[in-house]
Amino acid sequence: MIAPAHSSDPSSSGSGEEQRAIRVRILRQDAPGQESYWERHVVPYEPNMNVISVLQRIAAGARAADGRPVAPVAWDCNCLEEVCGSCTMLINGATRMACSALVDRLLEDGEEIELRPMSKFPVVRDLVVDRRRLFRGLEKVKAWVPVDDSYDHGAGPRISPEEQEDAYPLSTCMSCGCCLEACPQYVKIEPVRRDGEAPEAFAERRQGAFDRGFVGAHAISQAMLFNSHPTGKMIADERLETLTAPGGIQMCGNAQNCVAVCPKGIPLTRSIARAGRSATLWAIKRLFDR
Amino acid sequence: MTRDETAADSFFTRHQFLIYRLFSLAGLLPVGAFLVVHLLTNSSILGGAESFQDRVDTIHGLGPLLVPVEIAFIFLPILFHAVVGFVIIAGGMPNVGSYPYAGNIRYTLQRASGMIAFAFIVWHLVHLHWLGAPFRGTALPGFDPHHASSTLAVAMASLGMNLLYAIGMLAAVYHFANGLWSLGITWGVWTSPAAMRRANWLSVGVGAVLALAGLGSLVGIRRIDVDSARALEERRGEARRMLEGGVPATPAAVSADVGT
Ligand code: HEM
Ligand code: SF4
Ligand code: SF4
Ligand code: FES
Repeated sequence: MIAPAHSSDPSSSGSGEEQRAIRVRILRQDAPGQESYWERHVVPYEPNMNVISVLQRIAAGARAADGRPVAPVAWDCNCLEEVCGSCTMLINGATRMACSALVDRLLEDGEEIELRPMSKFPVVRDLVVDRRRLFRGLEKVKAWVPVDDSYDHGAGPRISPEEQEDAYPLSTCMSCGCCLEACPQYVKIEPVRRDGEAPEAFAERRQGAFDRGFVGAHAISQAMLFNSHPTGKMIADERLETLTAPGGIQMCGNAQNCVAVCPKGIPLTRSIARAGRSATLWAIKRLFDR
Repeated sequence: MTRDETAADSFFTRHQFLIYRLFSLAGLLPVGAFLVVHLLTNSSILGGAESFQDRVDTIHGLGPLLVPVEIAFIFLPILFHAVVGFVIIAGGMPNVGSYPYAGNIRYTLQRASGMIAFAFIVWHLVHLHWLGAPFRGTALPGFDPHHASSTLAVAMASLGMNLLYAIGMLAAVYHFANGLWSLGITWGVWTSPAAMRRANWLSVGVGAVLALAGLGSLVGIRRIDVDSARALEERRGEARRMLEGGVPATPAAVSADVGT
């Protein structure tokens, strides 16, 4: 055993602060498809830490709480300011960004911090997950403005300030996947490569499985963002085609967890209801236009 | 839970959007509309045996059309909605433990109340409806439309039965009222958070009225005196048979009917 987690004696003032330690419980997994296991770590307390800085200390120490040398815990991060969306994990049971999860606040909940990888995506290693399906969702709904040439088209159409105000929040999506992690209708899909299956065949089968699953709140919201853009609108029908295909908007059960957990505060349920309305009108139009 | 779908797309998957929208529509029309009419009709028993018998006679005035109408507009739509409902329930992963938000609790209750309502509807048919007669045996007296109030009062005599009906009915009412709110999002009737809040009040209002009507019916049934209700039903039966030109009515029965 290494040092106790807390300086239990407040009367030994002065050195008390240095002895304070943070206990962390991490759900680890060595490789895709392997069993996961819990491991405890202890790091010295410093003021103003976030979960990423805790993970950095853990990686530097590379020892479990019982002193055993262990492989460093792996995690994903990049911007460290809640804009890249790469550091999503389950912190004390809830999905959030590790870089903006402040340790001082977390310790208000309890003495130990619990870290788990996202549960809706296949684990690559420890806290790193494979979010291919999330990006496939954006690809499916064509979350872009289709201007794929080098001609000068002149100035684009005007967008009124009201429309800009409506669209801007949607454009802040950072593909973190919190909305998917918390969604009871977004169920994990983890196809496994079969013996003797060619990598291409597996990739195709995996894509098929992803495509039949729920596309997710983030993609629905992006579809609505680009369907409201004057140029993006040109392929509005293609986006609605996707949103009414298997795994589309109909899979949403209106639990509204997505909007509650989105770190960017994106009005996802407004997008979902708008997509529902567009899909209704589009389906009626299709019925009579055929 | 992991799902690895490799099979070729089933009919259900290929037509998922259409099926889910028909499922949603069925929840409102005809099933939801039936629930409203059914609970409001039942509450007429608060006005006594006579007023309730009037409503029952109106419904049974459909005569031979009643059975096909019930099958086409009530049983098949409920069955369709319930089957798709169970598929939807099986495909979701409720997580109120981790995310105890109001919307999530409502989502979970929507599923729980659907399943309770299903179990209750099955029991309700076995208990009172002609469909359940073969399963009923002699232990349960059932419901006779010509003796509406008296047979109902006998069938609903025990406190346990009242409790069972209250739970089943409230589950169905919650399910419909909350479903109304969710349906408006599904079809895109209300889209902004403010509109959803207003729609919420609509749901609360509809739910409150239906819950009161349903509980009122239970109170109304308890107020029925079996003997006098049966006497009234017999008199009306005599009068009806006379009008239909069947069994000749006794003068006493006719004069009693005129007297009331
Ligand atoms: C008492 C009769 C019933 C009525 C009036 C009714 C009505 C409704 C309505 C109006 C909705 C909303 C649809 C939407 O959000 O678009 C709904 C949803 C639902 N119903 Fe029913 N329903 C009934 C019975 C059942 C039964 C027996 C089940 C089977 C378990 C069931 C399962 C569901 C489920 C799972 C949903 C949620 C679907 C979703 O949000 O994705 N319902 N119902
Ligand atoms: S509203 Fe829809 S997308 Fe959002 S969490 Fe609920 S089921 Fe998922
Ligand atoms: S919508 Fe919000 S929660 Fe979902 S991916 Fe975008 S930023 Fe993350
Ligand atoms: S590191 Fe970019 S959001 Fe956390």
